[in-house]
Amino acid sequence: MFFVRFALKKKLTAILTLTLACFLIGCLFSLHQSTASGSNQSAALSERMDNLVSTISDLEREIAAYEGLIEQYRTELAAMDSGHQTAAIQALQEDLKMAQLRAGLTQVTGKGIEIILDDNYEGLRENPGGDPNHYIIHYEDLLSIVSDLKSAGAEAIAINDQRLIGTTELRCVGNVILVNTTRLAPPFVIQAIGNPSILWDTVAHGRYDYLRLNHFPVSLEVGDSLVLPAYKGELQFVHAKLL
Amino acid sequence: MTAPLRNMLAFFCAMAVLGLSLSVQFKAQNSPDRELYQQRQENLIVMVKNLTEKRQRLGQEMSDLSSQLYDRRNAFEDESLTIKSLEQQLARLEIANGTRPITGQGLEIQFQATSAVQYTDLIVLINELWAAGAEAIAVGGYRLNANSYIFYSDSPEGRLISVNNSPVPLPLRVQAIGNAGSLERGLTLPGGFMDIMMYNKIYPTLRQKESLDLPAVTSPPLYYYLSAYTAPAPAAAATGQAKNATR
Repeated sequence: MFFVRFALKKKLTAILTLTLACFLIGCLFSLHQSTASGSNQSAALSERMDNLVSTISDLEREIAAYEGLIEQYRTELAAMDSGHQTAAIQALQEDLKMAQLRAGLTQVTGKGIEIILDDNYEGLRENPGGDPNHYIIHYEDLLSIVSDLKSAGAEAIAINDQRLIGTTELRCVGNVILVNTTRLAPPFVIQAIGNPSILWDTVAHGRYDYLRLNHFPVSLEVGDSLVLPAYKGELQFVHAKLL
Repeated sequence: MTAPLRNMLAFFCAMAVLGLSLSVQFKAQNSPDRELYQQRQENLIVMVKNLTEKRQRLGQEMSDLSSQLYDRRNAFEDESLTIKSLEQQLARLEIANGTRPITGQGLEIQFQATSAVQYTDLIVLINELWAAGAEAIAVGGYRLNANSYIFYSDSPEGRLISVNNSPVPLPLRVQAIGNAGSLERGLTLPGGFMDIMMYNKIYPTLRQKESLDLPAVTSPPLYYYLSAYTAPAPAAAATGQAKNATR
């Protein structure tokens, strides 16, 4: 009798364990499905999402590789020896060096300020019912701060390792912020080279202040020797021709 | 098979599946793709389109650079060939820097004299034009470069929009060189710039132009604080970049 009860108990334990495991798997699976598709979308839709996301990841990897090569070619070209240096060649090389500096193709250093902006996770946690849009940094915030920096005489600006050049656009697709078509994730680190006190005063009285007053985790610091990366993208002009 | 063994096997299988699904779940929650999964499908399609275009332009840049490298190597010790190659490199940068006048097809945006346009509207417009593929822009006849800023200045005639501190009175014309159709589409997207303007009762006119002439910038930027960075050693340069990348 004892043996039968013991066997039954063991079987019950096994069944219970299995039930629990299956239940957990079920929960995780459903959670996974909802992460993957956002809401109650069909499996076909979720597969299409998978395809799009993997296409984006592949393109981003390829683009990073291209940018690495472009940077390498530009460095090689800049360091190229022209045999005997005539005065005409030397003068042109000087012009070219200046033009590359102005175009943002050179890594630069100098005094300036560094601004860090992050999403207000805490605010959203405290108000779970609130509109999430009120707690995240938008591209308009970055655009406004970048405009402040330029009007304060910033000589070079970079956001999360993306150097801003003349044609750089800041935009969002959904709630993903893109700079030079490159996806940026918070926290956003904006570095600007220029007169630190003018930059500071201008930024502190602009959009930055609005974010600070609305409890976004933001910071503003003076940097004595900031190093900003070179622009690694393309400079293609299809329509514009020199007059 | 004995009962304990069968139980153990079943338990083992269940745990293996559990482990697997946990890892899949963990991956989906933590990979940088997570934010992509939160986007709408049409937004992802836009991203794929933009990235594909960017890859194509980068490919073109790579082939341009490698032919420049080839030319320079071939021109070694040949002064006239070297000069020609350097001049070609310089010409492209002069378009980018706005240091030479240029021409090309594009879009002209005109704000009427009575328009209530604000300087912030122009900042948005210019950003939208770059996003739509503009190659060069002039506001009120002032060519923009990387350091240009749009603000306002007070004058006896009232508050005026200014470009690099030069007032640009209304009526105001913004000219952008680029694919005229793409530029117009970029501004007329639903909820885009033209819709925002209409909502604010501002009615700029758009005109596609086969040929626009833009002047050079009035004064190229002067650098008081910035200088070219030369890495002390390759190792130091690598850490500098990594520092930027992880922030």
